[in-house]
Amino acid sequence: MSAKKGMAAACLMSAALGLLLVFAHPAAAETGRAKPLVYDYADLLSDGEESALRSLAAELGAERETDFLIITLDGTGGVDIQDYVARFYDDEAPGYDRRHGNAAMLAIDLEERDLFLAGFGKAETWLDDGRLNKIRDRITPLLSEGEYYKAFEKYLKLAHDYMGYRPGVNPDNILFKAWFQIAVSLAVAAVAVSVMAASSGGRITVNARTYLDEKRSGVVDRSDRFTHKTVTRTKIEKSSSGGGGGFGGGGGVTPGGRSFSSSRGKF
Amino acid sequence: MVFDAGTGKLACPSCRTQIDIGEPDGRHEPEPKSGTDGTVAYHCDNCGADLMALPETAATICAFCGAGVVIADRVAGELSPHYVIPFAISKEEAVKAFRKWCRNGLLTPRGFLTADRINSITGIYVPFWLYDLNSRVKVRAACTKVRTYKRGDYLYTETHYYDVYRELDLHYVKVPVDASAKMDDAFMDRLEPYRYDGLKAFKPAYLAGFLAEKYQFGDDELLDRARDKIRGFIESAISSSFSGYATVTRVSETIDTRNMKSHYALLPVWLIVYDYHDFKHNFAMNGQTGKIVGKPPLSKAKIAAWFGGIAAGTLLVMKTLSWALGGGFL
Repeated sequence: MSAKKGMAAACLMSAALGLLLVFAHPAAAETGRAKPLVYDYADLLSDGEESALRSLAAELGAERETDFLIITLDGTGGVDIQDYVARFYDDEAPGYDRRHGNAAMLAIDLEERDLFLAGFGKAETWLDDGRLNKIRDRITPLLSEGEYYKAFEKYLKLAHDYMGYRPGVNPDNILFKAWFQIAVSLAVAAVAVSVMAASSGGRITVNARTYLDEKRSGVVDRSDRFTHKTVTRTKIEKSSSGGGGGFGGGGGVTPGGRSFSSSRGKF
Repeated sequence: MVFDAGTGKLACPSCRTQIDIGEPDGRHEPEPKSGTDGTVAYHCDNCGADLMALPETAATICAFCGAGVVIADRVAGELSPHYVIPFAISKEEAVKAFRKWCRNGLLTPRGFLTADRINSITGIYVPFWLYDLNSRVKVRAACTKVRTYKRGDYLYTETHYYDVYRELDLHYVKVPVDASAKMDDAFMDRLEPYRYDGLKAFKPAYLAGFLAEKYQFGDDELLDRARDKIRGFIESAISSSFSGYATVTRVSETIDTRNMKSHYALLPVWLIVYDYHDFKHNFAMNGQTGKIVGKPPLSKAKIAAWFGGIAAGTLLVMKTLSWALGGGFL
């Protein structure tokens, strides 16, 4: 490979990768369908915030073929939040693809300070209990601080992000992080080129055995005296999908007989 | 008469007579005349010209007629080498091998690869001390072995502590250290290894037609360099003697390296000076094995190309891996 050709090839490859990265997150075509998606019953959001969330939810939802819903409540009328969400799904029949279709729902109740996340349809598997728990863990602090808009925005982004990974895979695996991939690539290239440069002037080809007279050399005296031992024990964490302290999730079935994944907690 | 690397005999280029070096030659050596600055004048046997030789020169080539001249008293008595490894690679082979090596440079500029500007190529016998070293190593260390097991809801980690002692007797044979002031130490170290099956008892005739130097440092002066050279080898011998332990914390360590015997040897090196972009680049070739060392120029463009190519390739692999594991490709 000539220097110039190599350079050109390298530039092309980097450019191609850059382009791919740019197009990876297309500003998805606004879906014209006017789905409510954000049900701000507790009136936590300004009109501007509500419409911003609505368009973000529409945009991200279209990519994952899933409706991302947000429900804020100031009291559920005596019903448990899980039952409320289940009934809401049965009654309102949200779904990207059809009625009672793919939907992820976030519901908060200010009265009980309950937070409930559920996934229906495709979202039941692609946002399983474990992934919903992860989302809940990351937005609970924001909700506790009253940063509702930020929390909802984060929920939308995380739900969208996590649905990009095949079910059963840990979406937070460092291998999936772009910065990690780029860092590893640069490090590998740097090491390889340094090795090439260092060895361009001739490598050292002697090793520990080159001059060693193996017949006469060796261990002439040795002792291995056991002195003491220590034992430590740690409790094995039961890693069930419902973990996460206090309330778990574990999914359920709506009165209408539709199953879902879920995660719940307080904020 | 010059030493012919191909046949291992003395050969006359004009009449093609060959003389076996094992046979004694009847010639008597010329008497040296001393100069003022340590340089010494010698008579060329062949043409009778007066030659000036630096104090360290043991063999040279007559500037007038090209005949090999061996300065006998610089390779006799105390200065007599024990061994010599004769050149196994002739000048033509050396030039050819060097050109081939240049073409293989992955990071060298294009012009360097195709340029054909060998300024000079000189065969030189470099003085080396070959040390037979014996190292007595005593190491005491606190070591652990770790075992983990599950019982019920608990994970148990059991650590066994040991007081471990190792005594090693290590013999290193003929560790070479160059005894020339002119030669770059790092260069000479990288020329190793020489194959010691090619070691011959020294005869001045091997030097004919090449340059040679006598040693400029005694074996006592260079012993520390020899010790440094085997330090890493000793280290790896120590760590392998502690294999089987999870952790090794050395408590005490004594290394006593003695020089059992040192041999004075002349080892063959081709020195190549190469012109490129008005710079002289120096290379050295092991005259026995053909190994080449030196600092070739590096091309920034090629470095950038390799860096970019490898980075892009690795990124592609990482992306594919991430995709295969169920993450997005991007």
